[in-house]
Amino acid sequence: MIKKIKISISEKIILIFVIMLGIFSLTSLMIIGEKCLFVKNYNPDDIQFDNPQNIAVLNADCGNVIIELYPNVSPNSVKRFKILIRSGAYDDAAFHRVIENKLIQTGDLEFGKRENLDYGKVGTGKSGLGTIKSETNENFKFKKGSVGLARTFQMNTEDSQFFIILKDEPLYEGEYTPVGKVLYGMEVLDKIKFISKMPIVPRPDFINSFKMLN
Amino acid sequence: MIFIRSILLFLAFISPLNANTIYDLIKIPNLEIYETNTENKLRYLYATKPFRLGVGIKKNIHCSNSDKKTLDNKYKIINRNLNRYSSKFLKKINLKYIVLCENLFIAKINTAGIPNNLIRTLILDIKFNKTYFERAIHHEVFHIISDSYKELFNEDEWKNFNKKNFKYTKCSTCNNKWNLNLYNETNGFFTEYAKSTASEDMAEVFSHLMFYRNEIDSNDPIINKKIKFIKKNISKIDNNFRF
Repeated sequence: MIKKIKISISEKIILIFVIMLGIFSLTSLMIIGEKCLFVKNYNPDDIQFDNPQNIAVLNADCGNVIIELYPNVSPNSVKRFKILIRSGAYDDAAFHRVIENKLIQTGDLEFGKRENLDYGKVGTGKSGLGTIKSETNENFKFKKGSVGLARTFQMNTEDSQFFIILKDEPLYEGEYTPVGKVLYGMEVLDKIKFISKMPIVPRPDFINSFKMLN
Repeated sequence: MIFIRSILLFLAFISPLNANTIYDLIKIPNLEIYETNTENKLRYLYATKPFRLGVGIKKNIHCSNSDKKTLDNKYKIINRNLNRYSSKFLKKINLKYIVLCENLFIAKINTAGIPNNLIRTLILDIKFNKTYFERAIHHEVFHIISDSYKELFNEDEWKNFNKKNFKYTKCSTCNNKWNLNLYNETNGFFTEYAKSTASEDMAEVFSHLMFYRNEIDSNDPIINKKIKFIKKNISKIDNNFRF
């Protein structure tokens, strides 16, 4: 005859502990996997701007990055930047060069778009509008959040690519053309995908949309 | 083929990423900022470790880091001399970064400096012979000037100032025994080194004008023609330039 074995109290406690541990682990994994969980998403419609005509809104996976453009500092460069933003050229462009806590670079419209990303060439692409002259400014302070136009090793080769710095870069002053500064949403940029020791990000994040506010 | 391309792409991706801003800007490794807050906007950098530069695997330029005391002492001298160039002039000649290091060698020959107007950089050997050090700074600055304004400093025109039977050597680094002492009898050249190439000769004239603050009173007609040439062309770059 088979004797029915009763579960002891200590065994019940262990079972409950194991179940709770499992639930805790699953919840933790879900929280860690959701990279945007604690990132505030700014709605530009809720914010009053002094110069709304110079406000651009870049939308990435974790929310909006609100950028003020500086036409008074770099008139021709901002003019070009606005043309590209208004035409929707930056939509689906990869954040192809991301260096942790340093900078984020995007805007390769030839080899860095979602539909035709070319890892071998990304970073070398052009917009088709031609290069423009550098508008460097020794007095512009490249503080965290500053937006500048990328260029080749030589001056006067700016086109569509731009970068946003994640820390102050005094050596950029007089080197790169400043076009603006992030007003809100730096935390969105902190969540852009990067891979340590890799200059080009494989399977990168993309700009969802980049629009002028007005 | 796809397999090989994948491997190459992978290798390219795992190559070390140098996130150093200075390296990104001027492609010289192992540098840190020494001073950037200067009147004429020059940025002084110093080597924290020895570095090598050059094309391919040879990398025939190398320089070492220096101790703080030497850096501090030599910075004062360098800054005093380079402060004589205005920010406007420096921008025109493409000079922005001064790299301070010691025992600078190119092709195994010790040199006072290596100018490169394309990366707007002048590397200076702060342990270079004390006797010539200050003048050598201006000598190297001239190379930046002439490289940026090749059309003004025409070597064929310059060669015509010399006696007809004189010929420069093939290169300035073909011999490491050139003397930098000022000749008692100039006879067309300030120093023996000036006889190496037309470019070095021009740099020697310029550096003497800067070092002696235009107080050169020469009876040598060739030297006088050379001085006139240098002054005329420097004024074309910046009318307000003062020797």
